[in-house]
Amino acid sequence: MRRRGISLYGVAFGALALVAVAVPSYAAGFGVFEQGSKAMGMAGAFTAQADDPSLLFHNAGGLAFVTESDFAGGFTYIRGIKADFEGANPFPGSDYKAKQETLAEFIPHAYYVAPINQTWKFGLGVNAPFGLTTEWDANNFAGRYLSTKAALRTVDINPTIGWQVTPTFGIGLGAIARVSDVVLERRVPAVNPFTQTVVDVAGIKLESDPGTGFGWNVGILNKVNNSFSWGLSYRSKVKIDYEGDGRLTQVSTGNAQLDALLRTRLPFDRNLPIKTQIEFPDMASLGLAFALTPSLLLETDVNWTGWSTFDQTTIRFTGGDLPNSTIRSDWKDVMNYRAGLRWTRSASSELRFGFVFDETPQQEEAVSPLLPDADRNGYTIGYGWKGAKLKTDLALMYLDFKERTRAKTFEGESPFLGTYKTQAWLFGITLGF
Amino acid sequence: MRRTSIALLSLFALALPALGQADFTRYVSLGDSLTAGYQSGGLAGSISRNSYPALISRQARPGAAFDQPLISDPGIPAVLELRSLVGPTILPKAGMGNLTNPIGTRPYNNLGVPGANVRDTVATVSGGLHDVVLQPFSPLLRGRTALQQAVQQNPTFVTIWIGNNDALGAATSGIVIDGVTLTPLARFETDLRAIASAIAATGAKMAFANIPDVTTIPFVTTVPNVVVNPATNLPVLINGQPVRLIGPRGQLAAGDRVLLTATTELRMGKGIPTALGGSGLPLSDSSVLDAGEIATISARVAGYNNVIATVANERGAALVDVNKVLRNAAVSGIPVGGATFTPAFLTGGIFSYDGVHPTSFGYAYIANVWIDAINAKFGTSIQPVNLRPFAFGGASTQAALGANSEALLGSSLLFTDEAKHSLFKGLNIPENLQSAPPGGGGGGGRRGGGHGHGHGGGQEQ
Repeated sequence: MRRRGISLYGVAFGALALVAVAVPSYAAGFGVFEQGSKAMGMAGAFTAQADDPSLLFHNAGGLAFVTESDFAGGFTYIRGIKADFEGANPFPGSDYKAKQETLAEFIPHAYYVAPINQTWKFGLGVNAPFGLTTEWDANNFAGRYLSTKAALRTVDINPTIGWQVTPTFGIGLGAIARVSDVVLERRVPAVNPFTQTVVDVAGIKLESDPGTGFGWNVGILNKVNNSFSWGLSYRSKVKIDYEGDGRLTQVSTGNAQLDALLRTRLPFDRNLPIKTQIEFPDMASLGLAFALTPSLLLETDVNWTGWSTFDQTTIRFTGGDLPNSTIRSDWKDVMNYRAGLRWTRSASSELRFGFVFDETPQQEEAVSPLLPDADRNGYTIGYGWKGAKLKTDLALMYLDFKERTRAKTFEGESPFLGTYKTQAWLFGITLGF
Repeated sequence: MRRTSIALLSLFALALPALGQADFTRYVSLGDSLTAGYQSGGLAGSISRNSYPALISRQARPGAAFDQPLISDPGIPAVLELRSLVGPTILPKAGMGNLTNPIGTRPYNNLGVPGANVRDTVATVSGGLHDVVLQPFSPLLRGRTALQQAVQQNPTFVTIWIGNNDALGAATSGIVIDGVTLTPLARFETDLRAIASAIAATGAKMAFANIPDVTTIPFVTTVPNVVVNPATNLPVLINGQPVRLIGPRGQLAAGDRVLLTATTELRMGKGIPTALGGSGLPLSDSSVLDAGEIATISARVAGYNNVIATVANERGAALVDVNKVLRNAAVSGIPVGGATFTPAFLTGGIFSYDGVHPTSFGYAYIANVWIDAINAKFGTSIQPVNLRPFAFGGASTQAALGANSEALLGSSLLFTDEAKHSLFKGLNIPENLQSAPPGGGGGGGRRGGGHGHGHGGGQEQ
């Protein structure tokens, strides 16, 4: 039984529906595979090579073969070229166009590897394998009640042990401590009784404290002979519980009566405790590397990511200030395919090329301003230079997302239909000492 | 020259939208106030230019003419407005509009007549807003019913949403009299079949919509049937239990509904026990729709909807299940772009200030339900209406009224008597009916001789 009319305004505005409090969702799923510039130059096809300190991310099995201590650090800079949206009827309409705020993110990485003795090796990696940002104009974007900003950050601390079982066969085993925080922002709508149309009444920002979760990883590298090696790598799921606060800030409707009424109905300008949880997916890679000639090496990798962990995210207002909200994602497990070519020009110089086809885990209904994901092709070129003391690796990647059109909506959810077009450059630099 | 015309022809063919088996070249809509684009108790061209038939036409044949009667602001009758959120007060605007686009030489495409029921469509030629929509001032059209004016246009496609007034009059007047405020099922079927048969004879394709349940409209669902503390807007509890209002036959039962029009009586203390500060006098019969009346109306609406579905099926017509759409909206709202529209009065965005007719958003949403049903039935690919202009308005048009929030907390709704008179007059809903004595059955003769002046006071909705 509905509480019909008991409080005409109380009920209507109380339920004012934090309809879709956002969930973190980012590009490429929201994984970032570019965690070392050498591997990035070969589009991440590195599982069967794993011969620089970024092996800690790509295949811990490579740690077994480390013979001297080595440090590498750098970053990947992601720069959006285009993140455009064109609407479709019935909402927000075929006459509607919008652009995301230009993405510009630095994603750092640092690795240290060292032999303990001939058999046992140690490594410590720090990197950020998940994260990214979407941001839309909070005042004008037609999807502002769905999301205006979503930002997820993670940092993995990844101590690893390597065991050289035989001269050609190595195993690595690591522990993962992942620290992460999330920020989600959007506008809150209500029907203005005077116009009978929707108007912004508030902005809501959900901001978590850093949460921590734990996992593990394992890798195998088998250098069968001079012309063939294979590798297998697995990183486990990591579940993180987040706590934080939501905050509602009033946005004037232009009507003083309505604004005053809303001030009595909504908990503006207070910290509203929230909890949520994200289960980051596990991922596995199989790589095969072939020496075509003494100076030319080809690697092909297949990666699997268990994105079905990302099915729905519930944001709970533990103080009961606002209704809980659940975002449905229903992602699926996906594969991506990588190929890299390494051309050793001299003992100190390498050129690298790569191609990746990355399959989106996101089904059509879940495509939203929060995360408009798509299948994408990535094209890379890389250069490595080894000096007496310093190693430098550079990589450039052009990421071309397929146009992603959403024409369907989950039962009972808000239509926000249209086509997203996204392109980005990634630039990586890693220095080794 | 010849080559040019062929080229032009093929260009023209390319420009035609892919419309499957439905042809909207001569589209005519039959119906009542909902088809006319009536909103907030009046028919005003500034609103009705976006009636659902006009929207369907615009989507099916962009740029093509679709004639409908356009009445200058503030409409006929003048549309209701919300004056204030302090004791929310709803009143008609001042003045009266007039028809701005009489054609005279041919009928309108939109033949939705506010107040019309099924019988009116086949039998009534003047009276009430028939005098506007059917253009009886024109010698060429005088004496022709809505159905005749539809047939006369040799239509290629006809939408028919009629029958709301065959039941809603009973709901809005609070008085259920079979044959007076509620059309007997047999008569409904006869008249609907007459409509379908006449349209089918023209060769036009058809789409029908069914009738919503009265318990889904805010006119019936807004006012609680218990005593409410005006200071808190919460029910007054005695021994932990809410106290039901006093109706014409004693204390109301759980399933009894208090109509929007009861707000003036409630403000005078009627329906509220003296111990709780009321007058102790009962609410009048017309302010209450009791559970029995609701059951009677709902059963009859179900009967009408069966007839509509049967006739639509027999004629190979599309069927639009508005009844289901509104029931779903009552349960989970209509989500659009992160906002949720609901049937809640004033704050829901689907229903206008009269508690019966949709807002512009509501009509646009309904147009899309029609388009979906037509596409599904006829294999057409008519694009849905863009809802954004209807869902997102600009800033409030109401100037700041300097209210203080304390007063708002104690707000209570007042659907004024003026608003009620205006609404009922516009829709020819009888205001002074008495319930028939048990077993009396109500004389059905009030619209019996309805030709020519079918709006003699017996019309519903």
